[in-house]
Amino acid sequence: MNPNLLRLKMKNHPEEDVVVESLKQRNMSKLVLALTTSSLDKLTNAGVILSGAAAEDMEVDVYVLVNAGQAFVKSQNGNVSGMADTAQSAEKFQQALDQFSTPKWTEFFEMAKDMTSVNVYVCSLAGKVAGGENKEDFIDLVDEIVGIGEYLEGASGADLNITL
Amino acid sequence: MTTEELKALESHKVVDSRGTACPGPLLAVKQAIADVPSGGIMEILSSDAGTKRDVPRWAKKQGHEYLGDFEEAGYFTLYLKKN
Repeated sequence: MNPNLLRLKMKNHPEEDVVVESLKQRNMSKLVLALTTSSLDKLTNAGVILSGAAAEDMEVDVYVLVNAGQAFVKSQNGNVSGMADTAQSAEKFQQALDQFSTPKWTEFFEMAKDMTSVNVYVCSLAGKVAGGENKEDFIDLVDEIVGIGEYLEGASGADLNITL
Repeated sequence: MTTEELKALESHKVVDSRGTACPGPLLAVKQAIADVPSGGIMEILSSDAGTKRDVPRWAKKQGHEYLGDFEEAGYFTLYLKKN
């Protein structure tokens, strides 16, 4: 629906002011989060950002790109141990997270999905690299297997793009 | 509101997120707001300094009224009114 057309109508139909305002208020902004690694630190960052976006009622599309697929395969069950940040060990990082009762990255994703519209798309190449061809090969967080074109289209229409 | 005025408020819901770090308190607030009646008061306990910035900003964006906060005994107590 084109908001500009609604504004024109409003001149003769002031009662539609309410409708327009309501649409504006319900208009969620959109975050596209691209994941390029299956490391513990990056996935935890993704979970934190995702949770914040959910609290803000943002609509979120997560695109799991090539290297990140490994974290989402069913056989892995969300367990990751590698670190993108090689300056600290995964063990110390995990200890620090535990100290502050920080949820596991998959729990962040689940909470966000409970609160707002979150779709997790796995790029088909990411799936193949990780050994998964179909949605059933991945954990339940995954909604669809998609091509890279969907990511590019989604990113071009987002209000906020973040790549981890 | 002054600290005394805040302490005198009758809370409809207390969210105790002490011991959790960002974004835990904000998520707890977001999840609990449904339990607060319109016009009701939510009291949030947090030991995370980020909450003092996150919750007022979130409340404003969501159309709720942030009433204020104070720090005592090593944690923050924040109040918001659901609209």
